[in-house]
Amino acid sequence: MRFSLRRALIAIALLLAIAPVLTQDAFYQRIAALVVLAAISASAWNVIGGYAGQVSFGHSVYFGIGGYAALLAFTKLGLPPIAGAPLGILASFVLSAIVGLPSFRLRGHYFSMATIAIAALAELLVTNWGYVGGAIGLMGPATPRSPADLLFRSPLPYYAIFLVVLAALLILTWRMERSRMGFYLRAIGSGEPAAESLGVPVRRYKLYALFISGAFTALAGSLYAVMIGFIDPDSGFGILVSVNMVVMAALGGAGTLFGPLVGAIILVPLEETTNAMLGGGGTGAAYVAYGVIIMLIARFSPGGLAQFVPRIAARKTERAA
Amino acid sequence: MLLEARGIVKMFGSFRAVDGADLTLAENELIGLIGPNGAGKSTFFNCLAGEARPTQGTIRFRGEDVTSLSSAAHTRLGLARTFQVPVVFEGMSVRENVMVGAFLRHPARRRAEEKADEVLEFTGLAAQAEMRATALGTAGRKRLGIARALATEPILLLLDEALAGLTSVEMEGAIALVERIHARGITIVVVEHIMEVIHRLSRRVLVFNQGRVIAEGAPADVTRDPAVIEAYLGRRAQGRPKSRGESHAP
Repeated sequence: MRFSLRRALIAIALLLAIAPVLTQDAFYQRIAALVVLAAISASAWNVIGGYAGQVSFGHSVYFGIGGYAALLAFTKLGLPPIAGAPLGILASFVLSAIVGLPSFRLRGHYFSMATIAIAALAELLVTNWGYVGGAIGLMGPATPRSPADLLFRSPLPYYAIFLVVLAALLILTWRMERSRMGFYLRAIGSGEPAAESLGVPVRRYKLYALFISGAFTALAGSLYAVMIGFIDPDSGFGILVSVNMVVMAALGGAGTLFGPLVGAIILVPLEETTNAMLGGGGTGAAYVAYGVIIMLIARFSPGGLAQFVPRIAARKTERAA
Repeated sequence: MLLEARGIVKMFGSFRAVDGADLTLAENELIGLIGPNGAGKSTFFNCLAGEARPTQGTIRFRGEDVTSLSSAAHTRLGLARTFQVPVVFEGMSVRENVMVGAFLRHPARRRAEEKADEVLEFTGLAAQAEMRATALGTAGRKRLGIARALATEPILLLLDEALAGLTSVEMEGAIALVERIHARGITIVVVEHIMEVIHRLSRRVLVFNQGRVIAEGAPADVTRDPAVIEAYLGRRAQGRPKSRGESHAP
Protein backbone atom coordinates (compact mmCIF):
# COMPACT_ATOMS: atom_id res chain seq x y z
CA MET A 1 0.00 0.00 0.00
CA ARG A 2 2.67 2.38 1.07
CA PHE A 3 4.59 1.79 -2.11
CA SER A 4 1.74 2.48 -4.49
CA LEU A 5 0.96 5.62 -2.51
CA ARG A 6 4.50 6.75 -2.91
CA ARG A 7 4.38 6.08 -6.61
CA ALA A 8 1.17 8.05 -6.89
CA LEU A 9 2.86 10.96 -5.17
CA ILE A 10 5.85 10.82 -7.48
CA ALA A 11 3.44 10.81 -10.41
CA ILE A 12 1.82 13.92 -8.98
CA ALA A 13 5.23 15.54 -8.70
CA LEU A 14 6.08 14.75 -12.30
CA LEU A 15 2.74 16.01 -13.47
CA LEU A 16 3.43 19.15 -11.53
CA ALA A 17 6.70 19.60 -13.37
CA ILE A 18 5.01 19.84 -16.74
CA ALA A 19 1.57 21.08 -15.70
CA PRO A 20 1.80 24.80 -16.49
CA VAL A 21 3.32 24.22 -19.90
CA LEU A 22 0.13 22.41 -20.83
CA THR A 23 -1.95 25.55 -20.53
CA GLN A 24 -1.51 28.91 -22.23
CA ASP A 25 -3.75 30.60 -19.70
CA ALA A 26 -1.64 32.87 -17.46
CA PHE A 27 -4.24 32.57 -14.70
CA TYR A 28 -3.62 28.87 -14.31
CA GLN A 29 0.11 29.26 -14.78
CA ARG A 30 0.13 31.75 -11.94
CA ILE A 31 -1.81 29.37 -9.74
CA ALA A 32 0.70 26.65 -10.55
CA ALA A 33 3.58 28.92 -9.52
CA LEU A 34 1.79 29.80 -6.28
CA VAL A 35 1.15 26.12 -5.58
CA VAL A 36 4.86 25.38 -5.76
CA LEU A 37 5.72 28.43 -3.68
CA ALA A 38 3.23 27.40 -1.00
CA ALA A 39 4.61 23.88 -1.15
CA ILE A 40 8.10 25.25 -0.38
CA SER A 41 7.03 27.03 2.77
CA ALA A 42 4.73 24.19 3.88
CA SER A 43 7.51 21.64 3.29
CA ALA A 44 9.92 23.86 5.20
CA TRP A 45 7.44 24.10 8.06
CA ASN A 46 7.11 20.32 7.91
CA VAL A 47 10.73 19.77 9.01
CA ILE A 48 10.14 21.22 12.46
CA GLY A 49 6.33 21.07 12.64
CA GLY A 50 5.83 17.68 11.04
CA TYR A 51 8.89 15.53 11.60
CA ALA A 52 9.94 16.99 14.93
CA GLY A 53 6.34 17.53 16.02
CA GLN A 54 6.94 21.10 17.20
CA VAL A 55 3.82 22.74 15.86
CA SER A 56 4.80 26.31 15.08
CA PHE A 57 2.11 28.84 14.30
CA GLY A 58 4.72 31.54 13.97
CA HIS A 59 6.52 30.63 10.77
CA SER A 60 5.20 33.79 9.17
CA VAL A 61 8.07 35.49 11.00
CA TYR A 62 10.55 33.68 8.76
CA PHE A 63 8.44 34.25 5.68
CA GLY A 64 8.17 37.96 6.49
CA ILE A 65 11.88 38.29 7.18
CA GLY A 66 12.67 36.75 3.81
CA GLY A 67 10.15 38.92 2.00
CA TYR A 68 11.29 42.10 3.68
CA ALA A 69 14.96 41.25 3.19
CA ALA A 70 14.36 40.98 -0.56
CA LEU A 71 12.53 44.25 -0.92
CA LEU A 72 14.79 46.09 1.54
CA ALA A 73 17.77 45.04 -0.56
CA PHE A 74 16.03 46.75 -3.45
CA THR A 75 14.67 49.89 -1.78
CA LYS A 76 17.62 50.61 0.53
CA LEU A 77 20.59 49.26 -1.41
CA GLY A 78 19.34 49.34 -4.96
CA LEU A 79 20.17 45.65 -5.37
CA PRO A 80 18.02 43.15 -7.24
CA PRO A 81 15.44 41.82 -4.75
CA ILE A 82 16.73 38.26 -4.95
CA ALA A 83 20.06 39.52 -3.53
CA GLY A 84 18.19 40.02 -0.26
CA ALA A 85 17.42 36.32 -0.01
CA PRO A 86 20.79 35.32 1.51
CA LEU A 87 20.39 38.15 4.03
CA GLY A 88 16.94 36.85 4.88
CA ILE A 89 18.32 33.36 5.39
CA LEU A 90 21.10 34.75 7.56
CA ALA A 91 18.55 36.64 9.63
CA SER A 92 16.48 33.46 9.95
CA PHE A 93 19.47 31.68 11.48
CA VAL A 94 19.94 34.46 14.02
CA LEU A 95 16.24 34.39 14.85
CA SER A 96 16.22 30.59 15.21
CA ALA A 97 19.12 30.75 17.64
CA ILE A 98 17.55 33.52 19.72
CA VAL A 99 13.99 32.25 19.72
CA GLY A 100 14.58 28.50 19.52
CA LEU A 101 16.54 27.98 22.69
CA PRO A 102 14.05 29.51 25.13
CA SER A 103 10.87 28.40 23.31
CA PHE A 104 12.04 24.79 23.04
CA ARG A 105 11.78 24.59 26.78
CA LEU A 106 8.05 24.64 26.18
CA ARG A 107 6.22 21.57 25.02
CA GLY A 108 3.09 20.91 23.02
CA HIS A 109 0.48 23.63 23.04
CA TYR A 110 2.65 25.95 25.06
CA PHE A 111 5.27 25.94 22.34
CA SER A 112 2.60 26.66 19.72
CA MET A 113 1.25 29.54 21.80
CA ALA A 114 4.70 31.03 22.21
CA THR A 115 5.23 30.94 18.44
CA ILE A 116 1.91 32.73 17.86
CA ALA A 117 2.96 35.40 20.33
CA ILE A 118 6.33 35.87 18.62
CA ALA A 119 4.69 36.22 15.20
CA ALA A 120 2.11 38.68 16.49
CA LEU A 121 4.87 40.71 18.10
CA ALA A 122 6.89 40.74 14.87
CA GLU A 123 3.87 41.91 12.87
CA LEU A 124 3.27 44.73 15.35
CA LEU A 125 6.89 45.81 15.28
CA VAL A 126 7.06 45.92 11.49
CA THR A 127 3.74 47.75 11.23
CA ASN A 128 5.07 50.49 13.47
CA TRP A 129 8.54 50.71 12.02
CA GLY A 130 8.63 53.51 9.48
CA TYR A 131 12.05 52.60 8.06
CA VAL A 132 10.70 49.33 6.63
CA GLY A 133 7.58 50.94 5.27
CA GLY A 134 5.35 50.69 8.33
CA ALA A 135 1.78 49.62 7.64
CA ILE A 136 2.14 50.43 3.93
CA GLY A 137 4.88 47.94 3.21
CA LEU A 138 7.52 47.85 0.48
CA MET A 139 7.41 47.78 -3.30
CA GLY A 140 9.76 45.98 -5.65
CA PRO A 141 11.10 47.36 -8.94
CA ALA A 142 8.33 48.44 -11.33
CA THR A 143 10.34 47.72 -14.48
CA PRO A 144 13.29 45.38 -14.78
CA ARG A 145 16.63 47.19 -14.64
CA SER A 146 18.51 44.00 -15.40
CA PRO A 147 17.65 40.30 -15.76
CA ALA A 148 18.77 39.90 -12.15
CA ASP A 149 15.63 41.70 -11.04
CA LEU A 150 13.76 38.55 -12.04
CA LEU A 151 10.82 40.51 -13.34
CA PHE A 152 8.87 38.42 -15.82
CA ARG A 153 5.54 38.92 -17.46
CA SER A 154 4.80 35.22 -17.66
CA PRO A 155 4.44 33.16 -14.46
CA LEU A 156 6.40 30.33 -16.07
CA PRO A 157 9.94 31.48 -15.17
CA TYR A 158 8.83 31.86 -11.54
CA TYR A 159 7.32 28.44 -11.70
CA ALA A 160 10.61 26.99 -12.88
CA ILE A 161 12.64 28.77 -10.18
CA PHE A 162 10.24 27.71 -7.43
CA LEU A 163 10.28 24.15 -8.68
CA VAL A 164 14.07 23.98 -8.43
CA VAL A 165 13.97 25.25 -4.85
CA LEU A 166 11.18 22.84 -3.95
CA ALA A 167 13.08 19.95 -5.46
CA ALA A 168 16.19 20.90 -3.49
CA LEU A 169 14.18 21.08 -0.27
CA LEU A 170 12.42 17.78 -0.87
CA ILE A 171 15.68 16.01 -1.70
CA LEU A 172 17.23 17.41 1.47
CA THR A 173 14.18 16.33 3.47
CA TRP A 174 14.24 12.87 1.89
CA ARG A 175 17.88 12.40 2.81
CA MET A 176 17.20 13.68 6.30
CA GLU A 177 14.24 11.34 6.68
CA ARG A 178 16.44 8.33 6.04
CA SER A 179 19.33 9.48 8.21
CA ARG A 180 19.92 9.59 11.93
CA MET A 181 18.51 13.11 12.07
CA GLY A 182 15.18 12.01 10.62
CA PHE A 183 14.88 9.22 13.17
CA TYR A 184 15.84 11.56 15.98
CA LEU A 185 13.33 14.20 14.93
CA ARG A 186 10.51 11.68 14.68
CA ALA A 187 11.47 10.26 18.07
CA ILE A 188 11.44 13.76 19.56
CA GLY A 189 8.06 14.37 17.98
CA SER A 190 6.47 11.35 19.59
CA GLY A 191 8.07 11.42 23.03
CA GLU A 192 10.78 13.74 24.25
CA PRO A 193 11.69 11.99 27.50
CA ALA A 194 11.89 8.64 25.70
CA ALA A 195 14.06 10.14 22.95
CA GLU A 196 16.29 11.80 25.51
CA SER A 197 16.65 8.53 27.40
CA LEU A 198 18.12 6.98 24.24
CA GLY A 199 20.84 9.61 24.13
CA VAL A 200 19.15 11.99 21.68
CA PRO A 201 20.36 15.56 22.30
CA VAL A 202 16.80 16.81 22.03
CA ARG A 203 17.27 20.57 22.04
CA ARG A 204 20.22 20.46 19.67
CA TYR A 205 18.28 18.47 17.08
CA LYS A 206 15.24 20.68 17.43
CA LEU A 207 17.50 23.63 16.77
CA TYR A 208 18.98 21.97 13.66
CA ALA A 209 15.45 21.35 12.41
CA LEU A 210 14.47 24.94 13.10
CA PHE A 211 17.53 26.22 11.21
CA ILE A 212 16.59 24.25 8.10
CA SER A 213 12.92 25.01 8.43
CA GLY A 214 13.41 28.73 9.06
CA ALA A 215 15.96 29.18 6.28
CA PHE A 216 13.72 27.64 3.61
CA THR A 217 10.69 29.54 4.87
CA ALA A 218 12.69 32.77 4.62
CA LEU A 219 13.72 31.82 1.11
CA ALA A 220 10.07 31.21 0.24
CA GLY A 221 9.30 34.69 1.58
CA SER A 222 12.00 36.22 -0.61
CA LEU A 223 10.72 34.37 -3.68
CA TYR A 224 7.20 35.52 -2.92
CA ALA A 225 8.35 39.16 -2.72
CA VAL A 226 10.34 38.79 -5.94
CA MET A 227 7.33 37.47 -7.82
CA ILE A 228 4.61 39.68 -6.33
CA GLY A 229 6.82 42.78 -6.06
CA PHE A 230 5.14 43.90 -2.90
CA ILE A 231 5.10 42.99 0.78
CA ASP A 232 3.32 44.48 3.78
CA PRO A 233 3.00 43.40 7.41
CA ASP A 234 -0.09 41.34 6.67
CA SER A 235 1.18 39.43 3.63
CA GLY A 236 4.58 38.88 5.28
CA PHE A 237 3.94 38.45 8.98
CA GLY A 238 0.17 37.86 9.20
CA ILE A 239 -1.11 34.88 11.16
CA LEU A 240 -2.77 33.50 8.04
CA VAL A 241 0.64 33.07 6.43
CA SER A 242 1.52 30.69 9.27
CA VAL A 243 -1.88 29.01 9.26
CA ASN A 244 -1.55 28.33 5.52
CA MET A 245 1.65 26.37 6.09
CA VAL A 246 0.18 24.38 8.97
CA VAL A 247 -3.07 23.55 7.19
CA MET A 248 -1.37 22.49 3.97
CA ALA A 249 1.05 20.22 5.78
CA ALA A 250 -1.67 18.82 8.02
CA LEU A 251 -4.04 18.16 5.12
CA GLY A 252 -1.49 16.34 3.01
CA GLY A 253 0.19 14.65 5.96
CA ALA A 254 2.53 16.35 8.40
CA GLY A 255 5.80 14.50 8.85
CA THR A 256 5.61 12.91 5.40
CA LEU A 257 7.80 13.91 2.48
CA PHE A 258 5.09 14.82 -0.03
CA GLY A 259 2.29 15.71 2.39
CA PRO A 260 2.78 19.48 2.28
CA LEU A 261 2.99 19.43 -1.53
CA VAL A 262 -0.28 17.51 -1.77
CA GLY A 263 -1.86 19.97 0.64
CA ALA A 264 -0.66 22.89 -1.46
CA ILE A 265 -1.98 21.31 -4.66
CA ILE A 266 -5.42 21.07 -3.09
CA LEU A 267 -5.61 24.30 -1.14
CA VAL A 268 -3.93 26.95 -3.28
CA PRO A 269 -6.22 26.47 -6.30
CA LEU A 270 -9.16 26.48 -3.90
CA GLU A 271 -8.08 29.81 -2.44
CA GLU A 272 -7.21 31.37 -5.78
CA THR A 273 -10.40 30.34 -7.53
CA THR A 274 -12.65 31.48 -4.70
CA ASN A 275 -10.77 34.77 -4.69
CA ALA A 276 -11.24 35.12 -8.43
CA MET A 277 -14.88 34.08 -8.33
CA LEU A 278 -15.94 36.12 -5.37
CA GLY A 279 -13.61 39.07 -5.86
CA GLY A 280 -12.07 41.08 -3.04
CA GLY A 281 -15.09 40.59 -0.82
CA GLY A 282 -14.63 36.84 -1.00
CA THR A 283 -11.11 36.73 0.39
CA GLY A 284 -12.43 35.12 3.54
CA ALA A 285 -14.22 32.29 1.75
CA ALA A 286 -11.13 30.13 1.44
CA TYR A 287 -10.54 30.44 5.16
CA VAL A 288 -14.03 29.25 5.93
CA ALA A 289 -13.10 26.17 3.90
CA TYR A 290 -9.81 25.96 5.84
CA GLY A 291 -11.74 25.92 9.10
CA VAL A 292 -13.90 23.07 7.84
CA ILE A 293 -10.81 21.20 6.62
CA ILE A 294 -9.05 21.60 9.98
CA MET A 295 -12.08 20.16 11.75
CA LEU A 296 -12.36 17.26 9.31
CA ILE A 297 -8.66 16.40 9.64
CA ALA A 298 -8.82 16.59 13.42
CA ARG A 299 -11.91 14.40 13.54
CA PHE A 300 -11.23 11.78 10.88
CA SER A 301 -7.56 11.67 10.01
CA PRO A 302 -5.04 13.42 12.26
CA GLY A 303 -2.29 12.09 9.99
CA GLY A 304 -3.72 13.89 6.96
CA LEU A 305 -4.38 12.37 3.56
CA ALA A 306 -1.09 10.47 3.73
CA GLN A 307 -2.68 8.37 6.44
CA PHE A 308 -6.25 8.54 5.18
CA VAL A 309 -5.68 7.25 1.65
CA PRO A 310 -3.86 4.02 2.60
CA ARG A 311 -6.46 3.40 5.28
CA ILE A 312 -9.31 3.60 2.80
CA ALA A 313 -7.36 1.43 0.40
CA ALA A 314 -6.75 -1.13 3.16
CA ARG A 315 -10.44 -1.16 3.97
CA LYS A 316 -11.26 -1.85 0.34
CA THR A 317 -8.88 -4.77 0.08
CA GLU A 318 -10.27 -6.11 3.35
CA ARG A 319 -13.74 -6.03 1.89
CA ALA A 320 -12.58 -7.64 -1.30
CA ALA A 321 -10.95 -10.47 0.63
CA MET B 1 32.79 0.69 41.89
CA LEU B 2 30.59 1.10 38.82
CA LEU B 3 28.10 3.45 40.40
CA GLU B 4 28.20 5.31 43.66
CA ALA B 5 25.31 7.43 44.92
CA ARG B 6 25.91 9.26 48.20
CA GLY B 7 23.40 11.07 50.38
CA ILE B 8 20.80 11.57 47.67
CA VAL B 9 18.02 13.93 48.66
CA LYS B 10 15.24 14.92 46.30
CA MET B 11 12.69 17.48 47.44
CA PHE B 12 9.44 18.42 45.75
CA GLY B 13 8.62 21.68 47.48
CA SER B 14 9.04 20.84 51.14
CA PHE B 15 8.33 17.14 50.61
CA ARG B 16 11.38 14.91 50.81
CA ALA B 17 10.65 12.22 48.26
CA VAL B 18 14.14 10.81 48.71
CA ASP B 19 15.74 11.54 52.03
CA GLY B 20 19.40 10.64 52.10
CA ALA B 21 19.67 7.42 50.10
CA ASP B 22 22.97 5.67 49.30
CA LEU B 23 23.75 3.03 46.72
CA THR B 24 26.94 1.44 45.55
CA LEU B 25 26.97 -0.94 42.63
CA ALA B 26 29.75 -3.25 41.58
CA GLU B 27 30.34 -4.33 38.00
CA ASN B 28 27.85 -6.95 36.77
CA GLU B 29 25.58 -6.86 39.79
CA LEU B 30 21.84 -7.29 39.50
CA ILE B 31 20.09 -5.49 42.31
CA GLY B 32 16.49 -4.73 43.13
CA LEU B 33 14.96 -1.55 44.46
CA ILE B 34 11.76 -2.35 46.26
CA GLY B 35 9.36 -0.64 48.58
CA PRO B 36 5.69 0.26 48.83
CA ASN B 37 4.16 2.75 46.43
CA GLY B 38 5.27 6.26 47.21
CA ALA B 39 8.41 5.07 49.00
CA GLY B 40 10.61 7.19 46.76
CA LYS B 41 12.23 4.39 44.83
CA SER B 42 11.10 5.69 41.47
CA THR B 43 12.30 9.17 42.31
CA PHE B 44 15.63 7.78 43.40
CA PHE B 45 15.73 5.78 40.19
CA ASN B 46 15.03 8.95 38.18
CA CYS B 47 17.93 10.64 39.94
CA LEU B 48 20.21 7.78 38.92
CA ALA B 49 19.02 8.00 35.32
CA GLY B 50 19.54 11.76 35.13
CA GLU B 51 15.83 12.35 34.66
CA ALA B 52 15.64 14.26 37.94
CA ARG B 53 18.41 16.27 39.52
CA PRO B 54 19.00 15.47 43.20
CA THR B 55 18.54 18.37 45.60
CA GLN B 56 21.54 17.10 47.54
CA GLY B 57 24.12 14.38 47.17
CA THR B 58 26.41 13.17 44.42
CA ILE B 59 26.28 10.33 41.92
CA ARG B 60 29.44 8.99 40.36
CA PHE B 61 29.39 6.62 37.43
CA ARG B 62 32.73 4.94 36.70
CA GLY B 63 34.43 7.62 38.72
CA GLU B 64 32.82 10.49 36.86
CA ASP B 65 30.46 12.90 38.59
CA VAL B 66 27.18 12.58 36.69
CA THR B 67 24.91 14.19 39.29
CA SER B 68 23.81 17.11 37.14
CA LEU B 69 24.16 15.61 33.68
CA SER B 70 21.13 15.25 31.41
CA SER B 71 19.54 11.88 30.83
CA ALA B 72 20.89 11.91 27.26
CA ALA B 73 24.39 12.37 28.65
CA HIS B 74 23.84 9.46 31.03
CA THR B 75 22.90 7.25 28.12
CA ARG B 76 25.95 8.37 26.17
CA LEU B 77 28.13 7.36 29.13
CA GLY B 78 26.54 3.91 29.15
CA LEU B 79 23.77 4.30 31.71
CA ALA B 80 20.45 3.55 30.01
CA ARG B 81 16.95 3.22 31.38
CA THR B 82 13.47 1.99 30.55
CA PHE B 83 10.17 3.55 31.57
CA GLN B 84 7.43 2.17 33.75
CA VAL B 85 4.88 3.22 31.12
CA PRO B 86 6.75 2.62 27.87
CA VAL B 87 6.35 5.33 25.26
CA VAL B 88 6.73 3.89 21.79
CA PHE B 89 7.59 6.16 18.89
CA GLU B 90 4.39 6.35 16.88
CA GLY B 91 4.51 6.08 13.15
CA MET B 92 7.64 3.96 13.36
CA SER B 93 8.04 0.23 13.03
CA VAL B 94 9.42 -1.84 15.87
CA ARG B 95 12.79 -1.97 14.10
CA GLU B 96 12.85 1.79 13.57
CA ASN B 97 12.12 2.31 17.26
CA VAL B 98 15.16 0.25 18.15
CA MET B 99 17.22 2.05 15.50
CA VAL B 100 16.70 5.32 17.38
CA GLY B 101 18.67 3.77 20.22
CA ALA B 102 21.20 2.13 17.90
CA PHE B 103 22.03 5.43 16.19
CA LEU B 104 23.74 6.56 19.38
CA ARG B 105 26.81 4.39 18.72
CA HIS B 106 26.27 3.83 15.00
CA PRO B 107 25.59 7.07 13.12
CA ALA B 108 25.43 5.33 9.73
CA ARG B 109 21.98 4.03 8.89
CA ARG B 110 23.15 0.65 7.67
CA ARG B 111 25.10 -0.09 10.85
CA ALA B 112 22.24 1.14 13.03
CA GLU B 113 19.93 -1.23 11.19
CA GLU B 114 22.26 -4.15 11.76
CA LYS B 115 22.57 -3.31 15.44
CA ALA B 116 18.80 -3.01 15.74
CA ASP B 117 18.29 -6.41 14.10
CA GLU B 118 20.80 -7.99 16.43
CA VAL B 119 19.00 -6.54 19.46
CA LEU B 120 15.59 -7.56 18.09
CA GLU B 121 16.88 -11.09 17.71
CA PHE B 122 18.28 -11.08 21.25
CA THR B 123 15.10 -9.72 22.80
CA GLY B 124 12.82 -12.02 20.83
CA LEU B 125 11.16 -9.26 18.84
CA ALA B 126 12.59 -10.21 15.44
CA ALA B 127 9.26 -11.53 14.20
CA GLN B 128 7.58 -8.20 14.95
CA ALA B 129 10.34 -6.04 13.44
CA GLU B 130 8.20 -4.72 10.59
CA MET B 131 5.14 -4.18 12.73
CA ARG B 132 4.03 -0.73 13.73
CA ALA B 133 5.24 -0.23 17.29
CA THR B 134 1.82 1.04 18.36
CA ALA B 135 0.36 -2.36 17.47
CA LEU B 136 2.27 -4.02 20.32
CA GLY B 137 0.54 -4.89 23.58
CA THR B 138 1.84 -4.08 27.06
CA ALA B 139 4.31 -6.95 27.18
CA GLY B 140 5.59 -6.18 23.68
CA ARG B 141 5.96 -2.51 24.48
CA LYS B 142 7.93 -3.21 27.63
CA ARG B 143 10.13 -5.55 25.66
CA LEU B 144 10.57 -2.89 23.00
CA GLY B 145 11.53 -0.41 25.71
CA ILE B 146 14.24 -2.79 26.87
CA ALA B 147 15.37 -3.44 23.29
CA ARG B 148 15.69 0.26 22.57
CA ALA B 149 17.74 0.81 25.71
CA LEU B 150 19.94 -2.20 24.87
CA ALA B 151 20.58 -0.77 21.42
CA THR B 152 22.41 2.12 23.08
CA GLU B 153 24.91 -0.51 24.33
CA PRO B 154 24.69 0.29 28.02
CA ILE B 155 27.05 -0.79 30.77
CA LEU B 156 24.36 -0.27 33.37
CA LEU B 157 20.69 -0.79 32.63
CA LEU B 158 17.99 0.68 34.86
CA LEU B 159 14.70 -1.19 34.51
CA ASP B 160 11.67 0.68 35.85
CA GLU B 161 8.96 -1.87 36.65
CA ALA B 162 9.72 -3.77 33.50
CA LEU B 163 7.61 -6.68 34.73
CA ALA B 164 4.61 -4.97 36.28
CA GLY B 165 1.31 -5.52 34.53
CA LEU B 166 2.37 -8.68 32.74
CA THR B 167 0.59 -12.03 32.78
CA SER B 168 2.47 -14.87 34.47
CA VAL B 169 3.54 -16.33 31.13
CA GLU B 170 4.76 -12.95 29.91
CA MET B 171 6.52 -12.44 33.21
CA GLU B 172 8.46 -15.69 32.83
CA GLY B 173 9.62 -14.47 29.43
CA ALA B 174 10.60 -11.10 30.82
CA ILE B 175 12.52 -12.63 33.73
CA ALA B 176 14.39 -14.86 31.29
CA LEU B 177 15.22 -11.81 29.18
CA VAL B 178 16.56 -9.86 32.16
CA GLU B 179 18.70 -12.86 33.08
CA ARG B 180 20.05 -13.10 29.55
CA ILE B 181 20.93 -9.41 29.56
CA HIS B 182 22.69 -9.87 32.88
CA ALA B 183 24.57 -12.86 31.47
CA ARG B 184 25.95 -10.56 28.80
CA GLY B 185 27.81 -8.70 31.51
CA ILE B 186 25.45 -5.76 31.82
CA THR B 187 24.84 -4.46 35.32
CA ILE B 188 21.16 -4.13 36.12
CA VAL B 189 19.06 -2.22 38.62
CA VAL B 190 15.44 -3.36 38.74
CA VAL B 191 12.71 -1.33 40.37
CA GLU B 192 9.86 -3.62 41.26
CA HIS B 193 7.17 -4.01 43.77
CA ILE B 194 6.49 -7.63 43.01
CA MET B 195 8.49 -9.41 45.71
CA GLU B 196 8.54 -12.72 43.90
CA VAL B 197 10.29 -11.23 40.89
CA ILE B 198 12.96 -9.67 43.06
CA HIS B 199 13.46 -12.91 44.93
CA ARG B 200 14.18 -14.73 41.74
CA LEU B 201 16.24 -12.12 39.98
CA SER B 202 18.55 -10.45 42.41
CA ARG B 203 20.97 -11.40 45.12
CA ARG B 204 20.82 -8.00 46.75
CA VAL B 205 17.90 -5.69 47.32
CA LEU B 206 17.46 -2.23 48.73
CA VAL B 207 14.18 -1.58 50.49
CA PHE B 208 12.84 1.94 50.37
CA ASN B 209 10.34 3.47 52.71
CA GLN B 210 9.51 7.14 53.12
CA GLY B 211 12.47 8.19 51.05
CA ARG B 212 15.05 6.19 52.97
CA VAL B 213 16.75 2.86 52.52
CA ILE B 214 15.43 0.90 55.51
CA ALA B 215 17.05 -2.42 54.69
CA GLU B 216 19.62 -3.89 52.36
CA GLY B 217 20.77 -7.41 51.74
CA ALA B 218 19.75 -10.76 50.30
CA PRO B 219 16.04 -10.92 49.39
CA ALA B 220 15.36 -13.74 51.84
CA ASP B 221 16.95 -11.86 54.76
CA VAL B 222 15.37 -8.59 53.89
CA THR B 223 11.87 -10.02 53.81
CA ARG B 224 12.34 -11.27 57.36
CA ASP B 225 13.41 -7.84 58.55
CA PRO B 226 10.68 -6.56 60.90
CA ALA B 227 11.09 -2.99 59.63
CA VAL B 228 10.46 -4.19 56.11
CA ILE B 229 7.49 -6.29 57.10
CA GLU B 230 5.96 -3.36 58.87
CA ALA B 231 6.69 -0.84 56.17
CA TYR B 232 6.05 -2.89 53.12
CA LEU B 233 4.08 -6.02 53.71
CA GLY B 234 2.29 -4.74 56.77
CA ARG B 235 1.01 -1.80 54.91
CA ARG B 236 -0.42 -3.80 52.08
CA ALA B 237 -1.98 -6.36 54.43
CA GLN B 238 -3.92 -3.58 56.10
CA GLY B 239 -5.40 -2.90 52.71
CA ARG B 240 -4.64 0.76 52.63
CA PRO B 241 -5.45 2.51 49.38
CA LYS B 242 -2.48 2.80 47.10
CA SER B 243 -0.62 6.04 47.33
CA ARG B 244 -0.55 7.93 44.09
CA GLY B 245 2.58 9.87 44.85
CA GLU B 246 4.94 7.56 43.09
CA SER B 247 3.56 7.50 39.61
CA HIS B 248 3.46 11.27 39.67
CA ALA B 249 7.09 11.71 40.55
CA PRO B 250 8.87 13.01 37.46
